[in-house]
Amino acid sequence: MARSGKAAVVLCMDVSFAMSNSFPGEESPFEQAKKVMTMFVQRQVFAESKDEIALVLFGTDSTDNALAVGDQYQNITVHRHLKLPDFDLLEDIDSRIQLGSQQADCILFWLGKKFEKRHIEVFTDLSSPFSKDQLDIIIHNVKKNSISLQFFLPFPIGKKDGTGDRGDGNLHLSDHGPSFLQKGVTEQQKEGIQIVKKMMLSLEGVNGLDEIYSFSESLRQLCIFKKIERHSMPWPCQLTIGSNLSIKIVAYKSILQEKVKKTWIVVDARTLKKEDIQKETVYCLNDDDETEVSKEDTIQGFRYGSDIIPFSKVDEEQMKYKSEGKCFSVLGFCRSSQVQRKFYMGNQVLKVFPAHDDEAATVALSSLIHALDELDMVAIVRYAYDRRANPQVGVAFPFIKDAYECLVYVQLPFMEDLRQYMFSSLKNNKKYTPTEAQLNAVDAFIESMSLIKKDEEEDTIKDLFPTTKIPNPEFQRLFQCLLHRALHPQEPLPPIQQHILNMLDPPTEVTAKSQIPLSKIKTLFPLTEAIKRKDQVTAQDIFQDNHEEGPTVKKHKTEEGEAHFSVSSLAEGSVTKVSRAFPVSSHQLINHIEQFLDTNETPYFMKSLDCIKAFRDEAIKFSEEQCFNSFLKSLREKVEVKQLNHFWEIVVQDGITLITNDEASGSSVTAEEAKKFLAPKEKPDEDSAAVLEEGGDVDDLSLVPKKKTKTKKNIKLTITIIIVSIVFISIIVSLLYDGFTRPSCVKK
Amino acid sequence: MSGWESYYKAEGDEEEEEEESPDVGGEYKYSGRDSLIFLVDVSRPMFESQGENELTPFDMSIQCIESVYTSKIISSDRDFLGVVFYGTKKDKNSVNFKNIYVLQELDNPGAKRVLELDQFKGQQGQNHFQDLIGHGCDYSLSEVLWVCANLFSDVQVKMSHKRIMLFTNDDDPHGSDSAKASRARTKASDLRDTGIFLDLMHLKKHGGFDISLFYRDIISVEEDADLGVHFEESSRLEDLLRKVRAKETRKRVLSRLKFKLDRDTALTVGIYNLVQKASKPPPVRLYRETNEPVKTKTRTFNVNTGSLLLPSDTKRSQIYGNRKIVLEKEETEQLKRFDEPGLVLIGFKPLALLKKHHYLRPSLFMYPEESLVNGSSTLFSALLIKCLEKEVIALCRYTPRKSTPPYFVALVPQEEELDDQKIQVTPPGFQLVFLPYADDKRNVPAPEKVMANPEQIDKMKAIVQKLRFKYRSDSFENPVLQQHFRNLEALALDLMEPEQAVDLTLPKVEAMHKRLGSLVDEFKDLVYPPDYNPEGKATKRKQDGESSGSKRPNVELSKEELKVHATKGTLGKLTVPMLKEACRVCGLRGGLKKQELVDALTQHFLKD
Repeated sequence: MARSGKAAVVLCMDVSFAMSNSFPGEESPFEQAKKVMTMFVQRQVFAESKDEIALVLFGTDSTDNALAVGDQYQNITVHRHLKLPDFDLLEDIDSRIQLGSQQADCILFWLGKKFEKRHIEVFTDLSSPFSKDQLDIIIHNVKKNSISLQFFLPFPIGKKDGTGDRGDGNLHLSDHGPSFLQKGVTEQQKEGIQIVKKMMLSLEGVNGLDEIYSFSESLRQLCIFKKIERHSMPWPCQLTIGSNLSIKIVAYKSILQEKVKKTWIVVDARTLKKEDIQKETVYCLNDDDETEVSKEDTIQGFRYGSDIIPFSKVDEEQMKYKSEGKCFSVLGFCRSSQVQRKFYMGNQVLKVFPAHDDEAATVALSSLIHALDELDMVAIVRYAYDRRANPQVGVAFPFIKDAYECLVYVQLPFMEDLRQYMFSSLKNNKKYTPTEAQLNAVDAFIESMSLIKKDEEEDTIKDLFPTTKIPNPEFQRLFQCLLHRALHPQEPLPPIQQHILNMLDPPTEVTAKSQIPLSKIKTLFPLTEAIKRKDQVTAQDIFQDNHEEGPTVKKHKTEEGEAHFSVSSLAEGSVTKVSRAFPVSSHQLINHIEQFLDTNETPYFMKSLDCIKAFRDEAIKFSEEQCFNSFLKSLREKVEVKQLNHFWEIVVQDGITLITNDEASGSSVTAEEAKKFLAPKEKPDEDSAAVLEEGGDVDDLSLVPKKKTKTKKNIKLTITIIIVSIVFISIIVSLLYDGFTRPSCVKK
Repeated sequence: MSGWESYYKAEGDEEEEEEESPDVGGEYKYSGRDSLIFLVDVSRPMFESQGENELTPFDMSIQCIESVYTSKIISSDRDFLGVVFYGTKKDKNSVNFKNIYVLQELDNPGAKRVLELDQFKGQQGQNHFQDLIGHGCDYSLSEVLWVCANLFSDVQVKMSHKRIMLFTNDDDPHGSDSAKASRARTKASDLRDTGIFLDLMHLKKHGGFDISLFYRDIISVEEDADLGVHFEESSRLEDLLRKVRAKETRKRVLSRLKFKLDRDTALTVGIYNLVQKASKPPPVRLYRETNEPVKTKTRTFNVNTGSLLLPSDTKRSQIYGNRKIVLEKEETEQLKRFDEPGLVLIGFKPLALLKKHHYLRPSLFMYPEESLVNGSSTLFSALLIKCLEKEVIALCRYTPRKSTPPYFVALVPQEEELDDQKIQVTPPGFQLVFLPYADDKRNVPAPEKVMANPEQIDKMKAIVQKLRFKYRSDSFENPVLQQHFRNLEALALDLMEPEQAVDLTLPKVEAMHKRLGSLVDEFKDLVYPPDYNPEGKATKRKQDGESSGSKRPNVELSKEELKVHATKGTLGKLTVPMLKEACRVCGLRGGLKKQELVDALTQHFLKD
């Protein structure tokens, strides 16, 4: 296994001066080539591929290579020998590669011999003269060493025409590169293209031209991190039917939930070293002193219901179930319908093939596969990986493809694994029986959201959303963040890339089609959020939790300089200490105001207005002006989002604005600012919009004003804002006692 | 990940840690404990068997209870069980009511209790009962229920579910005494109000058991009002067992989630797991001297200063491309955040496109949750009906919790099914089938296809037909678990020798041999060449010649060599024994996995 699949890749980059030629508004081929290489190397780094990568520059001012003798192989620099890719290489590509002033005259490569696959990737714009006379030698050498060659050019080349005929007719630039069409290709480049084509065709045959890529198309393909490739180990065994019939098989894992290969290592926050941290486990008695006992003084036991039974490891080992070793034994056969998919267990799917190069076994297994297939039956099998593994019972069903056939094995449950729950019938319940109209609406909706495209002529079905082709976004995101952190250690993590999000969403054509049937569903199926008593006490609930949380948060807080504890949790913990009575009542108030507004009816507007006024007065009285101000700010935000402009108009009419520093000394708002606050706003404040977005409900709110959990979230948001501001006040106040203000800590 | 998971255990609150729902492997845990009282009528009719070789109703009840006990010990040993007899001669209860005998108060099921129940089994058991307790003639059901209620209130632990199962074959216990009957009704409704469920496990009686005479007003109706499922009376042990099994575990929702049809149209659903791997419970550490359990504390401290470290004193790192990349712990959580918890509809696909071999992890079950969004059930029901009719699945993006990245799931519609006893075997709703991502699929090398000829296939068909059986999902017990608990039982009860669990997963070789007869040899003649031995070892290993000499490869490498490897990032090329040796030489504790060893060495050399 060790060596198989390992490849050597030589990146050859043209750094001759011509590479910097670019057209206005376009990146130079030099920059583009660097980008493609960076992405390629990134993928290799995170895929932990064992492929080794070398970087050769040609067209450099100096010459540094082992073959440079006389005037041969001049202007070629081996920047990096074959090595596993790492971040140094990435940084080199990013910053250390300089354009040369020379023209490259020749490319030739050499490679070690221990690799199974050898690739050469050439990045060039072909504007340097090539020495044609050596072409045949190069081709011969490359062929002899079975090296595969790929060219990356700044422009796409025509792939229609064959070799042989020279001249412009051959140079069929496709539509992808309009900019290049206009600006034309130099004679030198044309000639270069011919040479490249000739080379590729003689090396790779008719499909050779497919190995020539343009920079832009490679960028598109490389933006997704490589999927994690794992090779399955073969598991040779014998499939037995009864005592007398066995078939040599070999099984492979074909589906297994892939985990990130590396785990997080805990390191010391200051030194970033793992060695500085040690973890120990101690055992102590359940007495008042928590007397510690050494591990040697403890033994192992197991619960048997209410009893705990001492059961030493040795005894356990001796008495435990003993498996008879690896096996794949048929227990019997049953109708395939008796094994339901919902009972599939375990964490893997095995594909069972006949032993390699064993025709007798192949035929024997084939008879079983086809017998089961024709009878529509499956085998129930006892499977044990090895002597130490617990035996399983599972199903093996036939799987026949054009290219191969096999049995597929999935584990089935034991009696102990089943839970029989009963659910009331949906059919017999008149209350929940949908009407004919409702059913039709759902029918239309399902039709409109179909993820397949039927091709009538060819009678094929195209899957518009093949989930098994989508890379796991968890890994994409992890690598994105790791890469970002590695290159920019001081910056916060970047947001999720748009192409990842797009990948997870339904195709836009499908969502567009579903709009009308969906609106019908909305009208026919009234969905109202149940108002539970629980909702009303949300605010108190939060505060109760905080109360309990208090000490722990405090504990973290004592560690100075650890500002990374999330601001909100810190704030929540402390608020109970700052002022308990006021926030609670204010929350109920805010709660009510939100509910009133959700009705979107004028009488309720007046009520909420009263509430706001009362709130304002109370806030001044209790010197909680910040609390009110942030509430009002968030209210304005919400009004905008929900398009309750007429409500805001009333607020403006009544002149309810922020509490100014004239009214309360704690406020930092001037009368001027307060006035401005009520003035119509051009653009929503970007910061707070971002905060709302994080709640993820902006759009929801704008579309359905009647949802209550949504508002609940927003209430929570408001609450958080309020709490945060209260804490800041307390911080500021406490600092004031020292006669010292530090507004910067607010921002933290 | 293991690094900081265990860190949190150190914070103490173990209960909470346990309730943290699903871990990646598809295992889930709940909070609170269930409690269940078996209330058994022991008046004379319960001891009269209905036919020649039939069990008496009492015997059936006891066997049934015992089986629940043993299965509870395996599946949920934290639950509370109790047994109460009524219609007894002697009495034993906290309020000194007559004719009521509390055999076992509510407690965890344990070995001694199973043994105690075991003594009531069979003919001997009946004698034992006569000696110990005896039949009484008179009882008041209201008093019986009172005693049960007391048992529940005596338990100090928070209980999530309280249930009484009443075993009787008397359909009109207070037929002559209407005052008693009405008191029983009142008491039953009191119990209902305090959240205690009462189920009737009615047993066969001459002339049939008529629920309408008395019990209809006594038993509780499920919270989900019209269960629409009414049991037949049980005359066989298996029937009774199934009935009890169906009721014994309370269905518990894993999570209540929004199922979003688009950005702003959502219904709420409950997610349940109907299969969950039962595994051997983790061992408990005991103090050698006293056999009392010890507490385990894990703490993290700084090696240099010896001071204890708080979570904020540590960061998390990974090494890629020879570079150490450091994140805050919060950030490691944050980067797993994609969606709010819930299901987001992507679209619909024909059921046929769901491939049988695309299995990732055990599926879940989805049922509407009316309590959060009114109208959910109707929309859910309409979707279910139409998906069944059109044979389509709904494709969704599933985010179970906030910091869990999404997985795609197929919602497979499932129609309700009842068996001949009118017990629901398949509930109505959607199965939630996890779909693999590209990363989860592996390429496997498929050998060249050589197809068998029709004659060979027909012979195999004959073999397959001979070995037909009806598969039931509950026909196999886990032999490992069973043996483990038998061993514990033997130790708990001081038995000399543990009972050997029958391993149902072993092929019944002899029976198969008999059934197949000459078919196997006929098939072999058709398929295998005369000198072929399918049991024989595969072709001789190629390395045989060389490996004998170098059985133990030289695992030692000089530090210089290692350093070169580390800087070039080629440590991964070395074998695990070599890496282990290298770690030993450098005085590192590398761990067991290759990656851990490589990381340790890389760090070691890059630091210098």
